Amino acid sequence: MLFNEWLKDNSKIILFNGAMGTELIKRGLTPGKIPDLMNIENPDMINDIHKSYYKAGSDMCQTNTFGSTPMNLKQYNLEERIEEIVKNALENIKKACPEGHLIVADIGPTGEFRPPVGSATPEQWYSSFSTQAKLLEKGVDLWHIETISDIEEMITAIEAIRGVSQKPIIASMTYTKTKRGFFTIMGDSLEKCIQLLENEKIDVIGANCTIGSKEMVGLFKTAVKITNKPFSVKPNAGQPRIEGTRTYYEQPIEDFAKDIYEMIQNGAKIVGGCCGTSPQTIKELRRIIDSI
Amino acid sequence: MSQEEIYTEICNAIVNLDEEKAINLANKAVNEEIDLLEVIENGYAAGIRRVGELWEEGEFFLPELMKGAQIMQNCMDIIIPHLQKGSERVSLGTVVIATIEGDIHSIGKTIVATMLRAYGFEVFDLGANVPAEKIIDIAIEKNADIIGVSALLTTTMIGQKKIIDLLKEKNLTDKFKVIFGGAPVTTTWVEECNADGFADNAIEAVKLVKSLLNK
Repeated sequence: MLFNEWLKDNSKIILFNGAMGTELIKRGLTPGKIPDLMNIENPDMINDIHKSYYKAGSDMCQTNTFGSTPMNLKQYNLEERIEEIVKNALENIKKACPEGHLIVADIGPTGEFRPPVGSATPEQWYSSFSTQAKLLEKGVDLWHIETISDIEEMITAIEAIRGVSQKPIIASMTYTKTKRGFFTIMGDSLEKCIQLLENEKIDVIGANCTIGSKEMVGLFKTAVKITNKPFSVKPNAGQPRIEGTRTYYEQPIEDFAKDIYEMIQNGAKIVGGCCGTSPQTIKELRRIIDSI
Repeated sequence: MSQEEIYTEICNAIVNLDEEKAINLANKAVNEEIDLLEVIENGYAAGIRRVGELWEEGEFFLPELMKGAQIMQNCMDIIIPHLQKGSERVSLGTVVIATIEGDIHSIGKTIVATMLRAYGFEVFDLGANVPAEKIIDIAIEKNADIIGVSALLTTTMIGQKKIIDLLKEKNLTDKFKVIFGGAPVTTTWVEECNADGFADNAIEAVKLVKSLLNK
Protein backbone atom coordinates (compact mmCIF):
# COMPACT_ATOMS: atom_id res chain seq x y z
CA MET A 1 0.00 0.00 0.00
CA LEU A 2 1.50 3.27 -1.17
CA PHE A 3 1.31 5.17 2.16
CA ASN A 4 3.01 2.30 4.00
CA GLU A 5 5.73 2.26 1.35
CA TRP A 6 6.22 5.99 1.85
CA LEU A 7 6.47 5.47 5.61
CA LYS A 8 9.13 2.78 5.20
CA ASP A 9 11.14 4.79 2.68
CA ASN A 10 13.58 6.79 4.81
CA SER A 11 14.31 9.16 1.96
CA LYS A 12 10.65 10.10 1.46
CA ILE A 13 9.24 13.21 3.20
CA ILE A 14 5.47 13.13 2.73
CA LEU A 15 3.94 16.48 1.75
CA PHE A 16 0.41 16.99 3.05
CA ASN A 17 -1.91 19.78 1.92
CA GLY A 18 -2.56 23.26 3.27
CA ALA A 19 -5.69 24.87 4.66
CA MET A 20 -9.19 24.41 3.31
CA GLY A 21 -11.11 26.77 5.58
CA THR A 22 -9.01 29.88 4.96
CA GLU A 23 -8.98 29.13 1.20
CA LEU A 24 -12.79 29.09 1.27
CA ILE A 25 -12.92 32.33 3.25
CA LYS A 26 -10.75 33.95 0.55
CA ARG A 27 -13.31 32.74 -1.99
CA GLY A 28 -16.19 34.28 -0.06
CA LEU A 29 -17.42 31.59 2.36
CA THR A 30 -20.29 33.27 4.17
CA PRO A 31 -20.36 33.68 7.98
CA GLY A 32 -21.71 30.78 9.97
CA LYS A 33 -21.57 28.39 7.02
CA ILE A 34 -19.76 25.13 7.63
CA PRO A 35 -17.16 24.45 4.89
CA ASP A 36 -18.34 20.84 4.56
CA LEU A 37 -21.65 22.06 3.10
CA MET A 38 -19.74 23.55 0.18
CA ASN A 39 -19.22 19.97 -1.06
CA ILE A 40 -22.88 20.14 -2.10
CA GLU A 41 -23.41 23.87 -2.70
CA ASN A 42 -20.24 24.57 -4.62
CA PRO A 43 -18.51 21.32 -5.58
CA ASP A 44 -16.45 23.00 -8.31
CA MET A 45 -14.85 25.32 -5.77
CA ILE A 46 -13.92 22.41 -3.50
CA ASN A 47 -12.64 20.42 -6.46
CA ASP A 48 -10.53 23.43 -7.55
CA ILE A 49 -8.97 23.78 -4.10
CA HIS A 50 -8.09 20.06 -4.02
CA LYS A 51 -6.62 20.32 -7.54
CA SER A 52 -4.60 23.37 -6.58
CA TYR A 53 -2.94 21.53 -3.70
CA TYR A 54 -2.15 18.39 -5.70
CA LYS A 55 -0.80 20.59 -8.50
CA ALA A 56 1.29 22.59 -6.02
CA GLY A 57 2.99 19.37 -4.97
CA SER A 58 0.98 17.71 -2.20
CA ASP A 59 1.44 13.94 -2.09
CA MET A 60 -1.89 13.62 -0.34
CA CYS A 61 -4.90 15.86 0.38
CA GLN A 62 -7.76 15.67 2.85
CA THR A 63 -11.46 15.33 2.13
CA ASN A 64 -13.48 18.43 2.99
CA THR A 65 -15.11 16.64 5.94
CA PHE A 66 -13.47 18.28 8.96
CA GLY A 67 -16.84 19.12 10.50
CA SER A 68 -18.79 16.09 9.34
CA THR A 69 -19.17 14.08 12.52
CA PRO A 70 -22.93 13.83 13.26
CA MET A 71 -22.42 15.51 16.64
CA ASN A 72 -20.89 18.56 14.98
CA LEU A 73 -23.34 18.66 12.05
CA LYS A 74 -26.20 18.63 14.56
CA GLN A 75 -25.14 22.07 15.75
CA TYR A 76 -25.75 23.36 12.21
CA ASN A 77 -28.99 21.34 11.78
CA LEU A 78 -27.22 19.33 9.07
CA GLU A 79 -27.10 15.92 10.75
CA GLU A 80 -29.56 14.43 8.29
CA ARG A 81 -27.46 15.47 5.31
CA ILE A 82 -24.30 13.66 6.42
CA GLU A 83 -24.51 10.96 3.74
CA GLU A 84 -24.97 13.56 1.01
CA ILE A 85 -22.13 15.73 2.38
CA VAL A 86 -19.65 12.85 2.62
CA LYS A 87 -20.65 11.34 -0.74
CA ASN A 88 -20.06 14.68 -2.45
CA ALA A 89 -16.83 15.25 -0.52
CA LEU A 90 -15.46 11.95 -1.81
CA GLU A 91 -16.52 12.69 -5.38
CA ASN A 92 -14.95 16.15 -5.28
CA ILE A 93 -11.55 14.89 -4.18
CA LYS A 94 -11.57 11.73 -6.30
CA LYS A 95 -11.92 13.86 -9.45
CA ALA A 96 -8.89 15.92 -8.38
CA CYS A 97 -6.53 13.22 -7.15
CA PRO A 98 -3.87 12.26 -9.72
CA GLU A 99 -2.31 8.81 -10.11
CA GLY A 100 0.32 8.07 -7.52
CA HIS A 101 -1.22 10.44 -4.96
CA LEU A 102 -3.45 9.69 -2.00
CA ILE A 103 -6.80 10.71 -0.52
CA VAL A 104 -6.90 11.26 3.24
CA ALA A 105 -10.13 11.20 5.28
CA ASP A 106 -10.32 14.35 7.41
CA ILE A 107 -11.86 13.61 10.81
CA GLY A 108 -12.20 16.70 12.98
CA PRO A 109 -13.45 16.99 16.57
CA THR A 110 -17.09 16.43 17.53
CA GLY A 111 -17.22 19.88 19.09
CA GLU A 112 -18.64 18.36 22.28
CA PHE A 113 -16.50 18.14 25.41
CA ARG A 114 -16.69 15.70 28.31
CA PRO A 115 -17.69 16.86 31.81
CA PRO A 116 -17.14 19.17 33.49
CA VAL A 117 -16.58 21.31 30.38
CA GLY A 118 -19.46 19.76 28.42
CA SER A 119 -21.70 16.72 28.65
CA ALA A 120 -20.40 14.37 25.95
CA THR A 121 -19.92 10.70 26.80
CA PRO A 122 -17.37 8.33 25.20
CA GLU A 123 -20.32 6.36 23.80
CA GLN A 124 -21.66 9.44 22.04
CA TRP A 125 -18.21 10.25 20.65
CA TYR A 126 -17.73 6.65 19.48
CA SER A 127 -21.07 6.54 17.73
CA SER A 128 -20.45 9.87 16.02
CA PHE A 129 -16.97 9.00 14.75
CA SER A 130 -18.13 5.54 13.70
CA THR A 131 -20.97 6.91 11.59
CA GLN A 132 -18.64 9.32 9.80
CA ALA A 133 -15.93 6.66 9.32
CA LYS A 134 -18.33 4.13 7.78
CA LEU A 135 -19.35 6.67 5.14
CA LEU A 136 -15.75 7.58 4.26
CA GLU A 137 -14.00 4.21 4.46
CA LYS A 138 -14.26 2.96 0.89
CA GLY A 139 -13.27 6.25 -0.71
CA VAL A 140 -10.05 7.02 1.17
CA ASP A 141 -6.52 5.65 1.45
CA LEU A 142 -5.84 6.64 5.05
CA TRP A 143 -7.18 8.68 7.98
CA HIS A 144 -6.18 11.99 9.56
CA ILE A 145 -7.85 12.57 12.93
CA GLU A 146 -6.94 16.18 13.56
CA THR A 147 -7.28 19.27 15.73
CA ILE A 148 -8.35 17.21 18.74
CA SER A 149 -8.03 18.89 22.16
CA ASP A 150 -8.86 15.93 24.39
CA ILE A 151 -6.73 12.77 24.35
CA GLU A 152 -9.78 10.76 25.47
CA GLU A 153 -11.72 11.97 22.44
CA MET A 154 -8.75 11.06 20.21
CA ILE A 155 -8.52 7.55 21.62
CA THR A 156 -12.26 7.10 21.12
CA ALA A 157 -11.94 8.29 17.51
CA ILE A 158 -9.13 5.81 16.88
CA GLU A 159 -11.21 2.96 18.31
CA ALA A 160 -14.22 3.97 16.23
CA ILE A 161 -12.20 4.10 13.02
CA ARG A 162 -10.48 0.80 13.78
CA GLY A 163 -13.95 -0.68 14.19
CA VAL A 164 -14.51 -0.14 10.46
CA SER A 165 -11.07 0.16 8.88
CA GLN A 166 -7.52 -1.14 8.97
CA LYS A 167 -6.19 1.68 6.80
CA PRO A 168 -3.35 3.80 8.24
CA ILE A 169 -4.17 6.49 10.81
CA ILE A 170 -2.42 9.79 11.55
CA ALA A 171 -3.49 10.94 15.04
CA SER A 172 -2.95 14.67 15.35
CA MET A 173 -3.66 16.64 18.54
CA THR A 174 -3.74 20.42 18.79
CA TYR A 175 -1.63 22.10 21.46
CA THR A 176 -1.17 25.54 22.89
CA LYS A 177 2.13 26.79 24.26
CA THR A 178 2.08 27.54 28.00
CA LYS A 179 4.74 28.54 30.51
CA ARG A 180 5.08 24.87 31.37
CA GLY A 181 5.27 23.47 27.85
CA PHE A 182 2.75 22.33 25.26
CA PHE A 183 -0.72 21.36 26.45
CA THR A 184 -4.16 20.91 24.93
CA ILE A 185 -6.90 23.21 26.24
CA MET A 186 -8.18 20.24 28.25
CA GLY A 187 -4.84 20.02 30.04
CA ASP A 188 -3.27 17.05 28.25
CA SER A 189 0.48 17.56 27.95
CA LEU A 190 2.37 16.76 24.75
CA GLU A 191 4.30 14.12 26.70
CA LYS A 192 1.14 12.43 28.02
CA CYS A 193 -0.51 12.42 24.59
CA ILE A 194 2.49 10.90 22.88
CA GLN A 195 2.86 8.28 25.61
CA LEU A 196 -0.78 7.22 25.25
CA LEU A 197 -0.78 7.35 21.44
CA GLU A 198 2.25 5.06 21.28
CA ASN A 199 0.00 2.32 22.66
CA GLU A 200 -2.76 2.89 20.12
CA LYS A 201 -3.24 1.19 16.75
CA ILE A 202 -2.04 4.16 14.73
CA ASP A 203 0.76 4.70 12.27
CA VAL A 204 1.73 8.35 12.72
CA ILE A 205 1.55 10.77 15.65
CA GLY A 206 0.96 14.40 14.77
CA ALA A 207 0.33 17.98 15.85
CA ASN A 208 -1.64 20.60 13.96
CA CYS A 209 -3.27 24.02 14.25
CA THR A 210 -3.40 26.51 17.17
CA ILE A 211 0.35 27.26 16.95
CA GLY A 212 2.48 28.72 14.18
CA SER A 213 5.49 27.15 12.52
CA LYS A 214 8.01 28.70 14.91
CA GLU A 215 6.30 27.24 17.97
CA MET A 216 5.84 23.93 16.15
CA VAL A 217 9.64 23.71 15.76
CA GLY A 218 9.88 23.83 19.56
CA LEU A 219 7.08 21.31 19.99
CA PHE A 220 8.67 18.91 17.54
CA LYS A 221 12.07 19.13 19.24
CA THR A 222 10.39 17.83 22.42
CA ALA A 223 8.31 15.24 20.58
CA VAL A 224 11.19 13.69 18.69
CA LYS A 225 13.01 12.98 21.97
CA ILE A 226 10.13 10.88 23.31
CA THR A 227 8.87 8.92 20.32
CA ASN A 228 10.30 6.95 17.44
CA LYS A 229 6.95 6.83 15.66
CA PRO A 230 6.70 8.80 12.41
CA PHE A 231 5.56 12.35 13.16
CA SER A 232 3.31 14.74 11.21
CA VAL A 233 3.41 18.54 11.62
CA LYS A 234 0.80 20.91 10.19
CA PRO A 235 1.26 24.30 11.87
CA ASN A 236 -0.65 27.51 11.16
CA ALA A 237 0.90 30.25 9.09
CA GLY A 238 1.86 32.19 12.20
CA GLN A 239 -0.68 34.02 14.38
CA PRO A 240 -3.36 35.90 12.45
CA ARG A 241 -3.79 39.68 12.53
CA ILE A 242 -7.40 40.63 12.90
CA GLU A 243 -8.66 43.89 11.49
CA GLY A 244 -12.35 44.44 11.97
CA THR A 245 -13.88 41.26 10.67
CA ARG A 246 -11.05 40.23 8.39
CA THR A 247 -8.24 37.87 9.25
CA TYR A 248 -4.79 38.25 7.76
CA TYR A 249 -2.14 35.56 7.97
CA GLU A 250 0.93 37.58 7.16
CA GLN A 251 3.82 35.26 7.94
CA PRO A 252 6.05 35.23 4.86
CA ILE A 253 5.95 31.85 3.16
CA GLU A 254 9.76 31.73 3.23
CA ASP A 255 9.73 31.93 7.04
CA PHE A 256 7.15 29.16 7.28
CA ALA A 257 9.13 27.03 4.86
CA LYS A 258 12.36 27.60 6.82
CA ASP A 259 10.70 26.30 9.97
CA ILE A 260 9.34 23.27 8.12
CA TYR A 261 12.84 22.61 6.72
CA GLU A 262 14.23 22.67 10.26
CA MET A 263 11.61 20.15 11.36
CA ILE A 264 12.46 17.90 8.41
CA GLN A 265 16.14 18.07 9.40
CA ASN A 266 15.08 17.09 12.93
CA GLY A 267 13.17 14.07 11.64
CA ALA A 268 9.61 15.08 10.69
CA LYS A 269 8.11 12.51 8.30
CA ILE A 270 4.96 14.32 7.18
CA VAL A 271 4.75 18.09 6.75
CA GLY A 272 2.01 20.44 5.64
CA GLY A 273 0.14 23.53 6.73
CA CYS A 274 -3.03 24.40 8.62
CA CYS A 275 -4.90 27.71 8.91
CA GLY A 276 -3.56 30.50 6.72
CA THR A 277 -1.49 28.27 4.44
CA SER A 278 -2.22 28.01 0.75
CA PRO A 279 -1.17 26.26 -2.47
CA GLN A 280 1.68 28.81 -2.65
CA THR A 281 2.90 27.56 0.72
CA ILE A 282 2.79 23.96 -0.48
CA LYS A 283 4.61 24.88 -3.70
CA GLU A 284 7.46 26.32 -1.62
CA LEU A 285 7.53 23.25 0.64
CA ARG A 286 7.67 21.02 -2.46
CA ARG A 287 10.64 23.00 -3.72
CA ILE A 288 12.43 22.61 -0.39
CA ILE A 289 11.71 18.90 -0.10
CA ASP A 290 12.87 18.24 -3.64
CA SER A 291 16.11 20.10 -2.98
CA ILE A 292 17.03 17.93 0.02
CA MET B 1 -11.17 26.64 64.62
CA SER B 2 -10.66 30.39 64.18
CA GLN B 3 -12.44 32.39 61.49
CA GLU B 4 -9.20 32.69 59.53
CA GLU B 5 -8.65 28.96 59.65
CA ILE B 6 -12.18 28.37 58.36
CA TYR B 7 -11.61 30.76 55.45
CA THR B 8 -8.34 28.99 54.61
CA GLU B 9 -10.06 25.58 54.72
CA ILE B 10 -12.76 26.84 52.39
CA CYS B 11 -10.26 28.47 50.02
CA ASN B 12 -8.20 25.27 49.90
CA ALA B 13 -11.29 23.16 49.24
CA ILE B 14 -12.07 25.24 46.16
CA VAL B 15 -8.46 25.26 44.93
CA ASN B 16 -8.22 21.50 45.47
CA LEU B 17 -11.55 21.09 43.64
CA ASP B 18 -12.85 19.14 46.65
CA GLU B 19 -16.60 19.51 46.19
CA GLU B 20 -17.59 17.38 49.17
CA LYS B 21 -15.44 19.41 51.55
CA ALA B 22 -16.50 22.74 50.04
CA ILE B 23 -20.18 21.86 50.46
CA ASN B 24 -19.69 20.52 53.99
CA LEU B 25 -18.00 23.78 54.95
CA ALA B 26 -20.85 25.78 53.36
CA ASN B 27 -23.39 23.86 55.44
CA LYS B 28 -21.21 24.27 58.53
CA ALA B 29 -20.98 28.02 57.98
CA VAL B 30 -24.76 28.28 57.64
CA ASN B 31 -25.46 26.07 60.70
CA GLU B 32 -22.94 27.83 62.92
CA GLU B 33 -24.20 31.28 61.83
CA ILE B 34 -20.76 32.53 60.91
CA ASP B 35 -20.73 35.88 59.05
CA LEU B 36 -21.69 34.56 55.63
CA LEU B 37 -20.54 37.58 53.62
CA GLU B 38 -17.08 37.15 55.11
CA VAL B 39 -17.22 33.43 54.38
CA ILE B 40 -18.02 34.13 50.74
CA GLU B 41 -15.45 36.88 50.24
CA ASN B 42 -12.53 35.46 52.25
CA GLY B 43 -13.22 31.78 51.64
CA TYR B 44 -15.03 30.98 48.41
CA ALA B 45 -14.22 34.04 46.33
CA ALA B 46 -10.59 33.87 47.46
CA GLY B 47 -10.55 30.25 46.33
CA ILE B 48 -11.99 30.91 42.91
CA ARG B 49 -9.59 33.83 42.44
CA ARG B 50 -6.72 31.43 43.12
CA VAL B 51 -8.24 29.00 40.58
CA GLY B 52 -8.15 31.84 38.06
CA GLU B 53 -4.49 32.58 38.88
CA LEU B 54 -3.58 28.93 38.40
CA TRP B 55 -5.30 29.01 35.03
CA GLU B 56 -3.31 32.07 34.00
CA GLU B 57 -0.11 30.36 35.15
CA GLY B 58 -0.82 27.34 32.94
CA GLU B 59 -1.37 25.01 35.90
CA PHE B 60 -5.12 24.70 35.53
CA PHE B 61 -7.00 24.15 32.28
CA LEU B 62 -10.62 24.18 31.10
CA PRO B 63 -11.77 21.21 33.22
CA GLU B 64 -10.34 22.72 36.42
CA LEU B 65 -11.77 26.15 35.64
CA MET B 66 -15.24 24.73 35.02
CA LYS B 67 -15.12 22.42 38.04
CA GLY B 68 -13.99 25.21 40.35
CA ALA B 69 -16.74 27.50 39.11
CA GLN B 70 -19.38 24.76 39.44
CA ILE B 71 -18.33 23.91 43.01
CA MET B 72 -18.41 27.61 43.84
CA GLN B 73 -21.91 27.93 42.40
CA ASN B 74 -23.17 24.89 44.32
CA CYS B 75 -21.84 26.37 47.55
CA MET B 76 -23.38 29.74 46.78
CA ASP B 77 -26.74 27.99 46.26
CA ILE B 78 -26.44 26.79 49.88
CA ILE B 79 -25.24 30.04 51.43
CA ILE B 80 -27.01 32.83 49.56
CA PRO B 81 -30.58 32.01 50.73
CA HIS B 82 -29.32 32.49 54.31
CA LEU B 83 -27.81 35.93 53.81
CA GLN B 84 -29.39 38.63 56.00
CA LYS B 85 -32.08 40.75 54.41
CA GLY B 86 -30.64 43.94 52.97
CA SER B 87 -27.32 42.24 52.40
CA GLU B 88 -25.63 43.47 49.25
CA ARG B 89 -24.38 40.12 48.13
CA VAL B 90 -27.71 38.82 46.84
CA SER B 91 -26.91 39.84 43.28
CA LEU B 92 -24.15 42.07 42.04
CA GLY B 93 -25.93 42.71 38.76
CA THR B 94 -27.67 41.04 35.84
CA VAL B 95 -25.86 39.80 32.77
CA VAL B 96 -27.35 38.48 29.53
CA ILE B 97 -24.75 36.51 27.59
CA ALA B 98 -24.80 34.67 24.25
CA THR B 99 -22.75 33.58 21.29
CA ILE B 100 -23.87 35.57 18.27
CA GLU B 101 -25.98 34.29 15.39
CA GLY B 102 -24.10 32.12 12.91
CA ASP B 103 -21.54 31.01 15.50
CA ILE B 104 -21.89 27.77 17.46
CA HIS B 105 -18.83 28.10 19.69
CA SER B 106 -19.90 28.19 23.30
CA ILE B 107 -17.30 26.89 25.73
CA GLY B 108 -15.64 30.18 26.54
CA LYS B 109 -18.99 31.91 26.86
CA THR B 110 -20.30 29.14 29.14
CA ILE B 111 -17.26 29.37 31.38
CA VAL B 112 -17.65 33.15 31.62
CA ALA B 113 -21.33 32.67 32.55
CA THR B 114 -20.43 30.11 35.21
CA MET B 115 -17.71 32.30 36.69
CA LEU B 116 -19.94 35.37 36.77
CA ARG B 117 -22.61 33.37 38.61
CA ALA B 118 -19.96 32.09 41.00
CA TYR B 119 -18.99 35.67 41.75
CA GLY B 120 -22.57 36.68 42.51
CA PHE B 121 -24.05 37.99 39.26
CA GLU B 122 -27.42 36.83 37.95
CA VAL B 123 -26.69 35.43 34.51
CA PHE B 124 -29.02 34.54 31.66
CA ASP B 125 -27.05 32.40 29.21
CA LEU B 126 -28.94 32.28 25.92
CA GLY B 127 -26.63 29.73 24.33
CA ALA B 128 -25.06 29.92 20.89
CA ASN B 129 -26.23 31.04 17.45
CA VAL B 130 -28.53 33.70 18.93
CA PRO B 131 -29.88 36.54 16.78
CA ALA B 132 -28.96 40.06 17.92
CA GLU B 133 -32.64 41.02 18.19
CA LYS B 134 -33.31 38.18 20.64
CA ILE B 135 -30.32 39.07 22.81
CA ILE B 136 -31.58 42.63 23.12
CA ASP B 137 -35.20 41.56 23.75
CA ILE B 138 -34.14 39.33 26.63
CA ALA B 139 -31.82 42.01 28.03
CA ILE B 140 -34.78 44.41 28.12
CA GLU B 141 -37.07 41.77 29.65
CA LYS B 142 -34.57 40.89 32.39
CA ASN B 143 -33.57 44.49 33.00
CA ALA B 144 -29.94 43.51 32.44
CA ASP B 145 -26.97 45.65 33.34
CA ILE B 146 -24.57 43.99 30.94
CA ILE B 147 -24.92 42.33 27.54
CA GLY B 148 -22.07 39.95 26.77
CA VAL B 149 -21.63 38.80 23.17
CA SER B 150 -19.20 36.14 22.07
CA ALA B 151 -17.92 35.42 18.55
CA LEU B 152 -15.14 33.02 17.73
CA LEU B 153 -15.04 33.56 13.98
CA THR B 154 -14.02 36.73 12.22
CA THR B 155 -16.93 36.03 9.89
CA THR B 156 -19.49 36.19 12.70
CA MET B 157 -17.95 39.10 14.60
CA ILE B 158 -20.02 41.51 12.55
CA GLY B 159 -22.98 40.34 14.65
CA GLN B 160 -21.37 41.98 17.68
CA LYS B 161 -21.50 45.33 15.89
CA LYS B 162 -25.14 44.65 15.04
CA ILE B 163 -25.98 44.58 18.75
CA ILE B 164 -24.48 48.05 19.20
CA ASP B 165 -26.20 49.38 16.07
CA LEU B 166 -29.60 47.98 17.09
CA LEU B 167 -29.33 49.44 20.58
CA LYS B 168 -28.59 52.81 19.00
CA GLU B 169 -31.61 52.48 16.69
CA LYS B 170 -33.83 51.71 19.65
CA ASN B 171 -32.32 54.55 21.73
CA LEU B 172 -31.10 52.04 24.29
CA THR B 173 -27.37 52.75 24.08
CA ASP B 174 -27.24 54.14 27.63
CA LYS B 175 -29.34 51.37 29.13
CA PHE B 176 -26.81 48.54 28.81
CA LYS B 177 -23.06 48.06 28.96
CA VAL B 178 -22.02 45.82 26.08
CA ILE B 179 -18.93 43.64 26.28
CA PHE B 180 -17.38 41.37 23.69
CA GLY B 181 -15.62 38.05 23.97
CA GLY B 182 -13.98 35.57 21.63
CA ALA B 183 -10.53 34.97 20.25
CA PRO B 184 -10.70 37.38 17.27
CA VAL B 185 -11.85 40.37 19.36
CA THR B 186 -9.31 43.17 19.73
CA THR B 187 -9.19 46.61 21.30
CA THR B 188 -9.45 48.10 17.81
CA TRP B 189 -12.67 46.18 17.15
CA VAL B 190 -14.17 47.24 20.48
CA GLU B 191 -13.34 50.87 19.74
CA GLU B 192 -14.65 50.62 16.21
CA CYS B 193 -17.95 49.25 17.53
CA ASN B 194 -18.10 51.62 20.51
CA ALA B 195 -18.53 48.70 22.88
CA ASP B 196 -17.66 48.95 26.58
CA GLY B 197 -14.83 46.43 26.65
CA PHE B 198 -13.73 42.90 25.98
CA ALA B 199 -12.13 40.12 27.99
CA ASP B 200 -9.60 37.51 26.93
CA ASN B 201 -10.80 34.93 29.42
CA ALA B 202 -13.34 34.26 32.16
CA ILE B 203 -11.24 35.77 34.94
CA GLU B 204 -10.76 38.99 32.98
CA ALA B 205 -14.50 38.97 32.17
CA VAL B 206 -15.39 38.97 35.86
CA LYS B 207 -12.95 41.82 36.53
CA LEU B 208 -14.37 43.78 33.58
CA VAL B 209 -18.00 43.31 34.63
CA LYS B 210 -17.19 44.26 38.22
CA SER B 211 -15.39 47.41 37.12
CA LEU B 212 -18.15 48.43 34.68
CA LEU B 213 -20.70 48.10 37.47
CA ASN B 214 -18.40 49.60 40.10
CA LYS B 215 -18.49 46.43 42.22
